[in-house]
Amino acid sequence: MTQPSGLPEGIGPLSGVNVLDLSWIVAGPTVGRAMADYGATVIRVESPTRVDTARVVGPFHADEPGVENSGLYGNVNAGKWGLTLDLRIAEARDIFRRLVQWSDILCESFTAGILGRWELDYAHLREDKPDLIMLSSTLLGQTGPYNTVSGFGSQGAGMAGVQYLVGWPDYPPAGPFGPYTDYPAPRFALAGILAALDHRRRTGEGVFIDQAQAEGTLQLLAPALIDYKNGGPPLERRGNDDPQMSPHGVYACQPPEGRAESWVAIAVAGEEQWQRFAPIIGAEASLALQDRRERKDVIDDQISAWTRQRSAGEVESTMQTLGISAHVLSNTEDAASDPQLIHRDHLRRLPHALHGETVVEAPRYIHSDIPATPARPAPQYGEHNEQILRTVLGLSDKQIETLAASGALS
Amino acid sequence: MLSPYRVIDLTDERGVLAGQMLADLGADVIQVEPPGGSTGRGIAPLFADRPEDSIYWAAYTRGKRGVTCNLEDGRGRDLLLRLLETADFLIESSDVGRMAELGLDYESLHERFPRLIYTSISAFGQTGPKAHYVGSDLAIWAAGTPLLMTGDDDRPPVRVSQPQSWGHASGDAAGGAMLALHARHQTGRGQHVDVSAQVSAAQATLAQILAYSVGSPDPERYGGGLKLRGVGLRGTADVHDGHIVMTLAPGPAIGHFANHAVKWLVDIGAVDESLAQEDFVTYADRAAVGQADPELFPRVQQIMREQVATRTKQEMLEISIEYDLLLVPVLDVVDLGASRQLESREFWREIEHEDGRVVTYPGPPLKVYLDGSAMDGRMTPPPMLGQDNEAVYGELGLSANELASLESAGVI
Repeated sequence: MTQPSGLPEGIGPLSGVNVLDLSWIVAGPTVGRAMADYGATVIRVESPTRVDTARVVGPFHADEPGVENSGLYGNVNAGKWGLTLDLRIAEARDIFRRLVQWSDILCESFTAGILGRWELDYAHLREDKPDLIMLSSTLLGQTGPYNTVSGFGSQGAGMAGVQYLVGWPDYPPAGPFGPYTDYPAPRFALAGILAALDHRRRTGEGVFIDQAQAEGTLQLLAPALIDYKNGGPPLERRGNDDPQMSPHGVYACQPPEGRAESWVAIAVAGEEQWQRFAPIIGAEASLALQDRRERKDVIDDQISAWTRQRSAGEVESTMQTLGISAHVLSNTEDAASDPQLIHRDHLRRLPHALHGETVVEAPRYIHSDIPATPARPAPQYGEHNEQILRTVLGLSDKQIETLAASGALS
Repeated sequence: MLSPYRVIDLTDERGVLAGQMLADLGADVIQVEPPGGSTGRGIAPLFADRPEDSIYWAAYTRGKRGVTCNLEDGRGRDLLLRLLETADFLIESSDVGRMAELGLDYESLHERFPRLIYTSISAFGQTGPKAHYVGSDLAIWAAGTPLLMTGDDDRPPVRVSQPQSWGHASGDAAGGAMLALHARHQTGRGQHVDVSAQVSAAQATLAQILAYSVGSPDPERYGGGLKLRGVGLRGTADVHDGHIVMTLAPGPAIGHFANHAVKWLVDIGAVDESLAQEDFVTYADRAAVGQADPELFPRVQQIMREQVATRTKQEMLEISIEYDLLLVPVLDVVDLGASRQLESREFWREIEHEDGRVVTYPGPPLKVYLDGSAMDGRMTPPPMLGQDNEAVYGELGLSANELASLESAGVI
């Protein structure tokens, strides 16, 4: 799209698009991963002096913690080129500015205000590069009284209401698994960046995107928020209860050998499904939704009495044969052998210099005409420093040496 | 940004957010419903004063236009085909196989509309052994693996009380469709995008879905945190009026936040000033070789818990910002409604509906600036059933008489 990247170009619709990925952990890097899968040249910039938390969170290869062992870091950075820069060093900032000139898209997730101190915020960068597309992604956005709050998506989950809304009415909030705002945020950011890229190719205009990751999660809670803001009751956590489906829950099954527990999810929607379901557990087929909800405890006991005698897989298949939604609560071993995920080739094996082989998730969609997949595993620290400095910026060995001596490459 | 593009949105409650994401980025999105209304119009919550009106449906059709079209009827299908002449995108979320029965699947349409980007959202994907499984929010969350990891260890695993699965899948549908648009710039051709909500849900595991595959143990559910190798790690703490999320740990990635916490504890006199000399960035490495007191950090954690317990969510947020801690309140829906941060960012938007009611909505998910000037999402009210029939079908050249006859035949 702009000048040749100097690195071997990717294959796919974003081939020729250069991305400078200064974001970290999950919400930002996930966006760059998606663009790399589809052919963009993505340079991930980081510094070992401030370890990316994703590198120290598992799952680790062979259960061995280490900054080059994280499956999480590997999953969200596969397909990227790796450059280490310590932006506190002036020489590193010079390199960074030159890379901005090379890039079409810059993604970053520093606390609001930090890049401004180095004159690397959008206002400064667009002076030299007016057609830059830049994503600034933070928990609460670039503006507002709490814009500088630090945190991971776990903090985001608290600030986006989702932490409160997972669990049981008589228990403290259990919260979702992990840093929840990191999950919706990249979807909104990716769609926005790709729209910006389309806009730029037509108009030549640059685009700045201020993403509050919490506001992305709030989109997924919109019905509850609108209800409350317009006079309805505030949604409270309600276990697995559903106002329009009953029975609706997670039921204990006979665990397979070697496992302490096993569960199945069952969601009975509508009267016809109930009439097929009721005889199986010996319940009254004529009960209407409201009656079933009122007798939830009794019916749930009847269901459990039936499921406990069976494997979760057997319950799933019995239910699905009856046209009722059910699925085993898969653990990660189940996921690795799930015939549907295998059919979609969801867990991809990539050769890896340190581990022999690593596993990453496939792109989250299947395109009929694009065989998207990461071209390489996530970079080790500084893995492509020389290649990037030499081929993208045209630095000589001597200049690279000087740069390294300044501490800029750590 | 997407104003040159038109989206024909055939989704029901499973996938209705995808079109809205494109609408908020500027696309002209036309929600197509059966003449009796989408099943999505029955999904809870419902407006308290208008129980026939779904808040869920309103939430995700805001910003779209709306027409009716009976796809069971040949004339309805012809009408849709005429509409597709004007479209760049089609998004659908019907039961797998249903579009093929209607002759409206990707294969059937691609030859006639080679530039059309056709996105399908389903529970498990368009093909494969579970393609025809009956999906639901709960079953998808179970199949994608986040459900087993979530909840209290003495209760069954638990979902988010506002269903999430289709929202994640919708988000992927919007991204997948946009990637196909860039592919069309290269090739001139549209294609099929197949979104599986099961795969989308796996995103909500922080890549833990890979645990078995790379040789690590699965995390297990634990209230307010997670359990690894049987050891529970709680990421929340009690405060006077509720809970906070608090991350306090030594180490190279986040140890400096623990140093900040100690500075606060020193300032309020809760610990001795000498503790400020300890560096929790390097502490764990030193403790491992006997050069730091292994009891010290647990003691700091305990004191921290005692101190926050006497304060409110709001007080702790202010302290967190002042000292730069990894600590925020667990906001409930009432707190969100009153949030100063959201108010300052003009997140809440009042939109007047066609019937004159003014309803408050969340604003768009991104703040976008084109060449320095702000671009807003589409803050138009959700369309009433068939609201834009005349305008949209009129543009196709249908006369008032033709529309009246289609209407009386139950086609629109």
